[in-house]
Amino acid sequence: MGVIKSARPVVIGLEVHLQLNTSSKLFCSCSTDYIGRTPNTNVCPICLAVPGTLPIINDRAVALGARMGLGLHCEIQNYSNFHRKNYFYPDLPKAYQITQYELPIAVGGYMDIEGDGGPKRVRIHHLHLEEDAGKLVHPTTDGRMTGAAYSLVDYNRGGVPLSEVVSEPDMSSPAEAREYVTRLRQLARYLDVSDGEMESGSLRVDANISLSNADGSLGTRVEIKNMNSFKSIERALEYEIGRQNKVLASGGRIIQETRLWDDSEGVTRSMRNKETASDYRYYPEMDLAPIVITDEEIEKFKEDIPELPWEKRERFARDFGLSKEEISVLTEQKELAAYYEGVVNAGAPPERAANWVRMEVLRVINEAGCSITGFGVKPAVLAELVRKIENRELSNTVGKDVLDLLVKDGCSLEDAINRSGASSAKLTGSSLDGLIATVMEANADVVGVIKSGQDKKGGKAKFLHGLIMKESRGQADPKEAAEALSRMLEL
Amino acid sequence: MKMSVDREITLRMARAAQIRVAPEDVDHMMDSINDILSFCALVGDLDCTGTPDFTWRMKKRPSRRPDITRDWEDRERFKEKAPAIDGNFFRVPRISSEV
Repeated sequence: MGVIKSARPVVIGLEVHLQLNTSSKLFCSCSTDYIGRTPNTNVCPICLAVPGTLPIINDRAVALGARMGLGLHCEIQNYSNFHRKNYFYPDLPKAYQITQYELPIAVGGYMDIEGDGGPKRVRIHHLHLEEDAGKLVHPTTDGRMTGAAYSLVDYNRGGVPLSEVVSEPDMSSPAEAREYVTRLRQLARYLDVSDGEMESGSLRVDANISLSNADGSLGTRVEIKNMNSFKSIERALEYEIGRQNKVLASGGRIIQETRLWDDSEGVTRSMRNKETASDYRYYPEMDLAPIVITDEEIEKFKEDIPELPWEKRERFARDFGLSKEEISVLTEQKELAAYYEGVVNAGAPPERAANWVRMEVLRVINEAGCSITGFGVKPAVLAELVRKIENRELSNTVGKDVLDLLVKDGCSLEDAINRSGASSAKLTGSSLDGLIATVMEANADVVGVIKSGQDKKGGKAKFLHGLIMKESRGQADPKEAAEALSRMLEL
Repeated sequence: MKMSVDREITLRMARAAQIRVAPEDVDHMMDSINDILSFCALVGDLDCTGTPDFTWRMKKRPSRRPDITRDWEDRERFKEKAPAIDGNFFRVPRISSEV
């Protein structure tokens, strides 16, 4: 994990918005499926703020907010309520956003991450529910707001439920901030709370960053918005650390403000002076009854929590004896972890199955640009293939060809093995010796070096072994080939 | 206790509400706000002895809506009534803070 150098200690806190996996909006029955939809089609009198309409809270949004809170070890509140956050910006037609303010649904909690200096606990201040805003289009030639004669609004996204997770300022570097968001997204996905796609905007991150003063007190914080990828989180924070260090080193002072990250230019730009809470004129939302969650309901939410990433990691280490790196890759997505477990449960040895899922299955998926859910080879089929490799009925090389055939043609394992040519007589005994002799003859100089005792590290012998395996097109057993080669080299 | 605002707070309120106030109108706006605050103070002077608190009495858990989608078929009427439309978008004045 990279650590950026700063003259003063860096203090970072993050606010992460997650779009919740609901079908309908937070306070009305309009669809949340707005990507690619004709503007202003997912709208109704409630989300367009027609006078006289009343919002009603979405039950699933409450459940998902509580679920995420539990995943973050927060305390779920029996009683929470909503406020109106007033601001004059036309992305919400009411001129205020309905959001939780004084009494959020979940408070406290933490998220454990791999910090710069080892395991680190990032405290969670709270998690609250709120509605998303609509989208504004500023029709200028450069796409910026400045200079636009007017703006266009699409309210399809307005009212989509969000949970905002507010951390304490416990992160000390851009890399830690990125790691925190990565773990948070993984948790949201494990819990089916959100798809966490940054590209489509269902996960958005605002960062508060400051440099500590010489006496150790917190410096003036700056908020950074518009970071649309994991990479941009790191880049924006790195840039901001450099900018603030430069300002302070030249005797200047940091202004409390909101800055926008410009990804193409690689800089942050001042957006506006930071509004103070009182400028938003929060006051209770009298159109909505409070959210009351009973203890029984909280217990039910707890019972519904599936195995969480860190629990799965522990179990994989305990049950399958895999390395930390293997576990990290296999448990990154719960669907991949489930696939791996399916392969093992179908009889494949855990370690070899881990290798195959990590290396080959992910290779095929990446090449095809699909996800594990779209991967056509069933776990039981891969388990059988892995078992055959383990039993040396097939070599690794042939196994890869077979897997490619399974994916490409969707045929049965038997067909794929037949078509790979591996089912024909295996190269063994005198046939194998014949092939080795041919390779040795064609590489007499290498053989000479080995026989003269100059190949102390065995690199030349490995080279020959590689050639034999290549020439055999995977039909020779690697171990048998190595033994035969040693015998024929008289080693 | 009666509250009041001065010119500085009046201008800050205008900024927060994004209302452009001409210099010659500031005093009038300040007087109007102070009139409202005076009325609030008057209401506050009422003797409410014996009047029960206005509280939210919840006999059961407030209802929630099931997560079911429903199309609003009459949405074209919103466009008909909107002050300005541009294609399928609502058209709004440029953002004043960006001017």
